[in-house]
Amino acid sequence: MAAPKPKSDRVRIETDRSWESGRSKSVTFVVTEDCQLRCRYCYMVGKNKAARLGFDVARKAIDYLLTERELVAEGSVVWDFIGGEPFLEVGLIDRICDYFKLRAYELSHPWFESYRFSFSTNGLLYGDERVQSFIAKNAAHLSVQITLDGTRAKHDLQRVYPDGRGSYDDVVRNLPRWLEQFPKSSTKVTISSDDIPYIKESVLHLWGLGIREININGVFEDVWKPGDDERFEDQLVSLADEIIARKLYETHSCSFFSKSIGRPYFDNTNWCGAGRMLAIDHLGNFYPCVRFLGFSLQNREALTVGNIADGLDRNRLRPFLSLDMVTQSPAECVACDVATGCAWCQGANYDFASTRTIFQRSVALCKMHKARVRANNYFWNRLGRELGRDLRAEPGDGEGPGPC
Amino acid sequence: MLKYLLVVLSEDATSFCHYETGRRSKSGRGLIALDHLRAAVIFALKHNLKVNALYPARRMPKAYEAALEEVEHVKIAPFPAGRRHPGAILVVEGGAFPAGAELRTLRDANVILRLRRADLPRLAVLVGRLLPRTTRINLVLADLESFGPEDLAAYGRELEKLRRRCLAIAPGRPRPEINVLTDRLALDRMNNCEAGLTHLTVAPDGRLYLCPAFYGAGAAESLGEIRNEIAVPNRHLLELRYAPICRVCDAFQCRRCIHLNRRLTLEVNTPSFQQCRAAHAEREASRLCLNALRERDGAAAGQVEIPEVPYDDPFDVVLKAKTTIAEFQKMRGSS
Repeated sequence: MAAPKPKSDRVRIETDRSWESGRSKSVTFVVTEDCQLRCRYCYMVGKNKAARLGFDVARKAIDYLLTERELVAEGSVVWDFIGGEPFLEVGLIDRICDYFKLRAYELSHPWFESYRFSFSTNGLLYGDERVQSFIAKNAAHLSVQITLDGTRAKHDLQRVYPDGRGSYDDVVRNLPRWLEQFPKSSTKVTISSDDIPYIKESVLHLWGLGIREININGVFEDVWKPGDDERFEDQLVSLADEIIARKLYETHSCSFFSKSIGRPYFDNTNWCGAGRMLAIDHLGNFYPCVRFLGFSLQNREALTVGNIADGLDRNRLRPFLSLDMVTQSPAECVACDVATGCAWCQGANYDFASTRTIFQRSVALCKMHKARVRANNYFWNRLGRELGRDLRAEPGDGEGPGPC
Repeated sequence: MLKYLLVVLSEDATSFCHYETGRRSKSGRGLIALDHLRAAVIFALKHNLKVNALYPARRMPKAYEAALEEVEHVKIAPFPAGRRHPGAILVVEGGAFPAGAELRTLRDANVILRLRRADLPRLAVLVGRLLPRTTRINLVLADLESFGPEDLAAYGRELEKLRRRCLAIAPGRPRPEINVLTDRLALDRMNNCEAGLTHLTVAPDGRLYLCPAFYGAGAAESLGEIRNEIAVPNRHLLELRYAPICRVCDAFQCRRCIHLNRRLTLEVNTPSFQQCRAAHAEREASRLCLNALRERDGAAAGQVEIPEVPYDDPFDVVLKAKTTIAEFQKMRGSS
């Protein structure tokens, strides 16, 4: 049977992100700072068993957010549950979700008609009866993304238990059920320096397992070694050749290749949603995103933007909501010919800035981005020749990077 | 480019701005070491800086006065010490406002009036009492960080009273300068504090700070010892063009206090809603003042324009109007 044709010249490059667009509020409950794994690249450097969200704190947060219609005016909501590993607290999450639905109904709040529960999980507990029960109960409003990093070698290089054992087998055994329940799901792959040799085979492996959409990001920490950019570029070029030779572009996608990256900046907006989204910890503190919690930061103290008792701090939100690209970027980034798609993380910027500010953009990924752009150009030029069409981006096509 | 150096002569030296004095010392009385003062004076001489010396109420040792005489300087002293410092800028505290007899010692004075939230209902009255004896009044809302929306509205009402009082002064008489009311009438660009850009502060510990308020915030805020090459980390964030809210604003008289910014928004380049709304209450009072002056005095009222705007906080403008790179570069070129 012939493979289905792509819907547009963009081939398949992005997941359906309508739930992450500006019209919905993203609220993250950090239900636990514990996890069964100790992934070596994880930015959550302060994992612990003590910090667990209580139902009362969650209830007060929901009460506040449902009644603060001036500062929280979005018509939809994505409740994001994160950890650590969120499914360690599936019983609590179930109560939180029930409470939200009940209160939103009682208040005739617009979110009752437009909500989603979202999970990023390591997948280890996916087959657990309580998790499956929760999924069955909330299936119509649920997104679940299991993280699988690629081949066994790649995955087990980073995603390990505290004793150093890899977790690949324990995750993969849950994949068939996940893909059956969420057939359009994507996975998120994280790349650190040591992972570079495994990139091509990992993407192909994940596609082979049935995950058709893969979002890949380099870590924002400055872990990169001299020559990493060239090794990275080689991997992507080799992957591009394989995708074209096997016509995988018709049915699969990988965020490495996007027509919209590698152009000069046109728009001055800040693409990161920190501050527009909200994270809530076990103490009832509000954060611009999970990267601003203490356990996510290596060098700086946590940065809160309010709490359940006092509400959102309008003043502390102002820097996040007025932040633009140019103000936080070095001049060389503003003038960069291949700027679009170059990622930054507001929390990592804050953590690694020379003063306590969110206005100092880290450039740790600069060389890696440029390598990606070169490989990306190679891919689209070669694919264009293959298809007999010009697939190069037009000036002004630039847009922000993929999900963080 | 640095233009002047603030020198805080003691832990109990008067505050002239949005901070409280004596935060760092338990006794609250420690003098700056004489060697440190001399180092500050020499630094000022080498770098063509004028000195603004902040005095306490008590008498300073003669050696200190002698050291200061080596450099061009302005004295800023609390009102009770005014007689010892002829020509000084005097700081009047709203909570300890001088009695009538004391006020009569003033003549053509330059005064800083520090008012607190509790003093708001008396703002127009207190400024009014100073007006006949001053050439200029700098009004400072000392605890602006504690102002809520109702306080800011009350501030606007007091400014309106003050505007009417000023306009009542007969034509031909010198118009009294009141920073929050008349500065904007003469400004066509930002005229802010510029701590860290045009001035630095030598504190009682002999070290450099962005301003006296940063000294009060703790030793970690220090820029280090007095030396020829001073590095202000992320200095560019102090500049107007790196302040997304301020650079679209035309409340040019705003103090744009980077310390207040840091305290309330955690970022030196981002003003709080208190700062923005207070500055816009002043801008609106200035606009009405200008309109009335134009009606009364015609072209003599000046050429500056203050258009009516539909917001009281430029943050609202920033939220709605995202700029392209080209627009931003154009804006940056003109700032």
